[in-house]
Amino acid sequence: MATPIIECIDLHKSFADHEVLKGINLKILTNEVVVIIGPSGSGKSTLLRCMNLLNEPTAGKVLFEGYDTSAKDIDINAVRSRMNMVFQNFNLFMHLTALENITLALQKVKKVPKKEAIVLATEALNRVGLTDKENAFPGQLSGGQQQRVAIARCVAMQPDAILFDEPTSALDPELIGEVLDVIKHLAETTGMTMVVVTHEMGFAREVADRVVVMDDGLIIEEGPPNEIFVNPKNERTRIFLRRVLKEIDDMDPLKPKYEGVTLEPEAPSVTFGEPQMMKDENPPSDQGPSGTLGRWFGFRGGRKKK
Amino acid sequence: MVEMDWSIIPEYFDAFMRGLTLTVEIAVISIILGFIGGILIGMLRISKNPFVSGLSSIYVEAFRGTPLLIQIFLVYLGLPQLGIEVESALVAGLIALSANSAAYQAEIFRGGVQSIPKGQMEAARSLGMTHNQSMANVVIPQALRNALPAYTNEFITMIKDSSLVMTIGVLELTLTGKLISAETAQPFVVLIFVAILYFILTFSTSRVLRYVEKRFAIPGMMGSE
Ligand SMILES: Nc1ncnc2c1ncn2[C@@H]1O[C@H](COP(=O)(O)OP(=O)(O)OP(=O)(O)O)[C@@H](O)[C@H]1O
Ligand SMILES: [Mg+2]
Repeated sequence: MATPIIECIDLHKSFADHEVLKGINLKILTNEVVVIIGPSGSGKSTLLRCMNLLNEPTAGKVLFEGYDTSAKDIDINAVRSRMNMVFQNFNLFMHLTALENITLALQKVKKVPKKEAIVLATEALNRVGLTDKENAFPGQLSGGQQQRVAIARCVAMQPDAILFDEPTSALDPELIGEVLDVIKHLAETTGMTMVVVTHEMGFAREVADRVVVMDDGLIIEEGPPNEIFVNPKNERTRIFLRRVLKEIDDMDPLKPKYEGVTLEPEAPSVTFGEPQMMKDENPPSDQGPSGTLGRWFGFRGGRKKK
Repeated sequence: MVEMDWSIIPEYFDAFMRGLTLTVEIAVISIILGFIGGILIGMLRISKNPFVSGLSSIYVEAFRGTPLLIQIFLVYLGLPQLGIEVESALVAGLIALSANSAAYQAEIFRGGVQSIPKGQMEAARSLGMTHNQSMANVVIPQALRNALPAYTNEFITMIKDSSLVMTIGVLELTLTGKLISAETAQPFVVLIFVAILYFILTFSTSRVLRYVEKRFAIPGMMGSE
């Protein structure tokens, strides 16, 4: 069994007297892809930000490769250079080109000489499919392209782990796919350790080794995706999943707009079988649900395990 | 009505130019010292240490809340009384103008830094850059760009306010004009000419800074083509 690369031990975080994390215990293993889901405000972002100490835990600790990150003699910058973060709003350096966004930290943090940094940055841009955008400024790129540059900025640092905080939720729907594909590809080809907060359930099911469900500052359930999505044990997980799926369903352009008319959506290529939970529970809407749900839960091809 | 005699301008041209040169020197020096001082005081102002930020905030409020003329007199007449000798009226004027401008420029700098979204700093820190590296490479370059219009304003104000040091006998453009007008009894001609010279200075400053603004505009952001 692999060793934990990130370990949260009884992690608490309060803002003023508002307790946001109420005792999180979580181990992230090397090469593991962990997806964190949960309702808005449940503390997912705060948990990620405590992992790399952008937020300081109120109590409890975070171990990175066995070292207590809040210990006095730990160089937090060294830890962060090995555990990068991808933000919801990309946070690219607006005054620098795509290439310079990537070379900056390579030069300043890893002390890579400029020429080499440019080579590494170019490679990283290739990886995310932005070879021709080296000299573009963030303001000249689409949201999806900006997020891919942000991912390349992390990848070029060759970190041990990347934390993704809702990497696609600021994107227009048509741009979500390209970013998810890049993350998926990264997971498949590099075996990089990843912690991903997302509302993209199809992606979660496809890429995650393990899904962690948070609610109200606590982890309420965790397990392999087919377990969480198909047969969740916790009632609140079920309620959350049903609501998320309902929202997706409401936004679905293929959903029949006329009362009494039920269209059968395209047949999905489901690999994990029919979602059991929905058979036990009331369907999320009053139309025949299994086709629609199957499509949202379904996915093409699993992650290749090495 | 006394006849306008424009011939005094070529006649006293060298004297006007000496005054103009000194005005430019005073303005440039106090703008530069004020710029550097402004960044230092501005950095202290955004410090998390309440003592440090409190101290710099007192500095800013003191210089912003009292007349520049009083500050000039205090440096020139007041400091010697405390046993601090000031070399000359010119030096006293430079000290007062720089210190005053530093207070205003500290506020401009602070505003610039605070206009940069928190995410920029966080992204830099999350890659392992230190606070200082992140400030120097990510926040400040953007903050200065955003603050350029405000800096332009302050620089123009400094050019005009440098005339106040005439009151302690520094022979810059305004005092030169005043003396020439007394000597020639042509105040209108002389003062119009002096005003035109000031306008040339301020107008070219604003043009140059407009160019700098355009030149350093971030492509794809507001203000760029
Ligand atoms: N810097 C802060 N100061 C005060 N309160 C905060 C701060 N950051 C987060 N919170 C509060 O902590 C709670 C959890 O926020 P968090 O962003 O971690 O939730 P989340 O699970 O990521 O939600 P979402 O899905 O909406 O991103 C919220 O109630 C939020 O208002
Ligand atoms: Mg969040």
